[in-house]
Amino acid sequence: MSTDRGERQVLPRLNDYGAALVLLCLVAYGVFRVPNFLSEMNLSAILYQYSIIGLLALGQLLVVLTAGIDLSQGALLALTSITTALVMVRHGPVMGVLAGLAVPAGVGVVSGLLVSRLRMPPFLVTLGTMGIARGMAMRIANARPVPIHNEAFISFGSGTLIHVPVSTFLWVGASIGLAFFLTRRPFGRHVYAVGSSEESSRLSGVSVASVKLAVYVLSAFLCAVGGVIWTSRLGSGSPVGGQNYELESIAAVVVGGASLFGGKGRVDGVVAGVLIFGVINSVLNLSRISPFWQGMIKGAVVLLAVALTQVRSGAAIRAPEGMARA
Amino acid sequence: MLLLIALAAVLSRGVFIKPTNLLNLVFQNAILGVISFGQLLVILSAGIDLSVGSMLGLSTVLLMIFQFLGLPVALLLTVTIPAVFGAVNGYFVAQRRLPAFVVTLAMMLFVYSLAQVISGGAGIYSGLNGAPLSPVLVSFNRRGLLGVPLPAVVWLLVLAGMALFLRLRLGHFVFAVGGNERAAVFSGVPVTMVRFLAYLGASVLASVGGILAVARVGEGHPAAGQTYLLDSIAAVTIGGASLSGGEGTMIGTLLGVLILGTLNNILNLLNVSPMMQPAVKGVVILLAVYLNGRREQR
Amino acid sequence: MSAPVPLLELRNVSKAFSGVEVLHEVSFDLREGEVHCIVGENGAGKSTLIKIISGAYNADSGRIAYFGEEAHHVDPRRVLGRGISTIYQEIDLVPALTVAENICLGKEPRTRSGNVDRPTMRRLAERVLNEIGVSLNLEAPAGTLTVAHQQMVAIARALSVHSRVLLLDEPTAVFTAAEVEAFFRIVRRLKAQGLGIIYISHHLEEIFQIGDRITVMRDGRVTRTGPVQEFDRMSLVRAMVGRDIDFSRRSQPTALGEELLRVEGLTRRGVFQGISFGLRCGEIVGLAGLVGSGRTELARAIFGVDRFHSGNLYIRGVGRRFRSPCQALSHGLGMLPENRKEEGLVPSRPVLENAAYCAVQLQSRFGWVPWARIRRLVRAVIENVGVRCASTNLGVRTLSGGNQQKVVIAKWLAARSDILILDEPTRGVDVGAREEIYALMWRFKADGKAILMISSDLPELLTQADRILVMAKGRIVGELPREQASEEAVLGFALETSRGQRHVN
Repeated sequence: MSTDRGERQVLPRLNDYGAALVLLCLVAYGVFRVPNFLSEMNLSAILYQYSIIGLLALGQLLVVLTAGIDLSQGALLALTSITTALVMVRHGPVMGVLAGLAVPAGVGVVSGLLVSRLRMPPFLVTLGTMGIARGMAMRIANARPVPIHNEAFISFGSGTLIHVPVSTFLWVGASIGLAFFLTRRPFGRHVYAVGSSEESSRLSGVSVASVKLAVYVLSAFLCAVGGVIWTSRLGSGSPVGGQNYELESIAAVVVGGASLFGGKGRVDGVVAGVLIFGVINSVLNLSRISPFWQGMIKGAVVLLAVALTQVRSGAAIRAPEGMARA
Repeated sequence: MLLLIALAAVLSRGVFIKPTNLLNLVFQNAILGVISFGQLLVILSAGIDLSVGSMLGLSTVLLMIFQFLGLPVALLLTVTIPAVFGAVNGYFVAQRRLPAFVVTLAMMLFVYSLAQVISGGAGIYSGLNGAPLSPVLVSFNRRGLLGVPLPAVVWLLVLAGMALFLRLRLGHFVFAVGGNERAAVFSGVPVTMVRFLAYLGASVLASVGGILAVARVGEGHPAAGQTYLLDSIAAVTIGGASLSGGEGTMIGTLLGVLILGTLNNILNLLNVSPMMQPAVKGVVILLAVYLNGRREQR
Repeated sequence: MSAPVPLLELRNVSKAFSGVEVLHEVSFDLREGEVHCIVGENGAGKSTLIKIISGAYNADSGRIAYFGEEAHHVDPRRVLGRGISTIYQEIDLVPALTVAENICLGKEPRTRSGNVDRPTMRRLAERVLNEIGVSLNLEAPAGTLTVAHQQMVAIARALSVHSRVLLLDEPTAVFTAAEVEAFFRIVRRLKAQGLGIIYISHHLEEIFQIGDRITVMRDGRVTRTGPVQEFDRMSLVRAMVGRDIDFSRRSQPTALGEELLRVEGLTRRGVFQGISFGLRCGEIVGLAGLVGSGRTELARAIFGVDRFHSGNLYIRGVGRRFRSPCQALSHGLGMLPENRKEEGLVPSRPVLENAAYCAVQLQSRFGWVPWARIRRLVRAVIENVGVRCASTNLGVRTLSGGNQQKVVIAKWLAARSDILILDEPTRGVDVGAREEIYALMWRFKADGKAILMISSDLPELLTQADRILVMAKGRIVGELPREQASEEAVLGFALETSRGQRHVN
């Protein structure tokens, strides 16, 4: 029979703060060994670039917490872009943005329904919706970008407030909001519950289907927000962008300590994860390392970060603290 | 249900089952087929390998570069170097128990970038000594063995090889490891070794695919394998394998590959713009998964 | 005289899965303030019945009435809302959430702004846990608790919803005698409050202790229903299996051979210390102890699943330390895990394959598997153990729980290990199968192999083991040879706070 405490691992602590640790190391490296790292221009550039991925990563966290995954984020970004631009041309910026937010959310509803009602595996569902969203974006744009002429809109995305990019405020706001939601709202706790043990949640009367539907819609919505910002920066609606953004968001989420099996992960970890990539990018660029080498370094860092922050509790066999070892 | 899918493909084009067409399909899709079998191995073990596309790219680059060493040596190197990276994958996933998704994602970035560094970022049309690709390889591609084109031969060999592997002890255990790892461990199955081999196998097969790719187009390029990643996963799942491991068959994957190949064919013939192709593929995947899911629930 | 409306009433309910009929015209009712026990062999349909009552499944035909009102197409949420709580065999807590959150899951107290009202939640949880007499760290993630504690939290949760009906599916499976007593106290209190309780258990003694009425099921039908006074152990078992069972069958002592296994001073920090004992050919050694005494952990350490920190393990006189079950297996050890489903079966794979894993691992040379030979061997073992299935090529998940257990047992028997560790071999197994398992154990013994049997079933230990070792709090506190063993003696050791070892010569 099992005793009261399993082998208490040192690693769970590392799990929670591993990302922050890695980030700290990277920043330290940047500060001491890389010229111009601490400059306002550089820091703001990091935030500028990675706020969008940051928004995506927040959405991805939600999905991953339910043991799902969202591969369609990049495609949704493009879809947002095209929709916003096209509608804006005819009906003005406000309608454009609204449409740009609504259409991807609609795709999110489709993904969510397929996962929650039809019980299809999220990997494949979002693989499918990714293809569909990308195809749609291409189709309505006829594979060509759609230029935007609305000045106010264009400056919005690139604007700064007290030297901090507007997009960053959005990201920070969303992060705080999400953190609050996940810890204080019952529905947020249900997200953890569904990812941690779907069956138990269901038996307790938690509406698993609603939770799952909600996270895909929210993820799509956050993509859309990011997409609007992205479009404004580009100054046009582009159907081809956003390639592989979802992979970066997933990497950020995982590096941040979330478990792909669900039920584990925190907003602060994800934020750290995103910033880790931002810092790596910046360090590599400032150090003038050829872009070809960047992939190798990124890959190695991701591996390292993951090795530090991930403890595979899903199939842990050594002295598990697992459930129902009846 | 699987048969129904195949039937649907038949109806849509009627020519599907003609032997020449089938052979043609096999010829066209051998590369995807070989990679998909590697992916199947990994997925059966409840993992996934996102690096297969990059491995293919790397192997095409390597083959071009090493040509001057003579074909046999070049082939050997082309297969073993990606295998080393596959072993690294295997190490981190099997031994260190890190999530396969992230490990192979990191490896994908790494290998792709490595291939770029080696090739200088562009395609390679000739070996290091300036000579064009060995004519032997190219003509082999067409004539192959006894008139059967090379890709088909290779694919068949891979099929046979894998079938054999799955009947051996470690291959047989792949299903157990993927189906319920704890139970496998408790039953005395050498889980780590089995998993490790799966990732090793995936890389080896990816590089074999790369060899076929070079044979087909005579060029080595780091991005040569990009489309094959998602297609391999799609083929495996359309073929009935479960992403959570322990379920799936080679025949299923074979059919999945052929269906995907047919789809590509059909879309091109119908003049569907390349823009829409991912969308249609997406729908087909969803449909296939849905149908498979229904079959399991019965 | 009119009888009060029953809390629950089922009439002629039937249910089939993939064409296989699991329940046939079952009728059942539950009255206020009664404990109605359901007994039956594995696969008799008890769990299915419970799932239909709780709304997890829908009946194919027949009528169900809750509190007098007929119901159609229920789902768990609605049933819960009506005041019917279920405690399943598989513990249904959410590992990532805290104890308090688990207790209130689905009905979290909220502040006016809609946030979770943490203080109120804590108070609620504490109150309910107190009712059971349990105190736990409310902020601990449920995943870190022991199984017994998890069960208690599950029960606490059921109580917190002010249920009027409680469905208990083998709730005391992992409880010690003391915990069972405490549990019964709660049950009696709930009875007095007018709750109706449905109680499924294999522990016949418990049923006689706590039950008011008994319904016996066999092969999906109800064979008998009546007040508990109308039954005795014999008649109960007869109604369950349709034949008589002799309870006094004991294992015969055999001549003992060489020492196959020996541990000396085995220690795993914080779990068990200084364990020393030996196992000889032809012996069945029982390992008794309460929850938390470390028996399963000891077994796992010997078998290579976990490590031990100090001490020695000798197999046939040679010192070993296994890093994995794979290694242990190759040296002739086998272990039947406590948690058969999660640690013993690959659900998606066929019965035959599952039962062959150990044999395949052991009998393959350089990767080549002698399939024909193995298939023959495994088929024979499967039949010996009495697995009932339509075909061995079907996925193991199509089997009933009890049959699945037998597949795992078959797997280890096919492994032909010399030293077999059995962790609760007959838990969750019906009475008929129990006898079959004992018979197989005896044959094992007679073949000169050794068995270490961990069991919480005292009668089982007393009748099957040649020697009983008793563990408490991680140490061996007593050893009883068969002639001197009795329930009191065993419990006496088990409950003693360990102060050195006592050997009854």
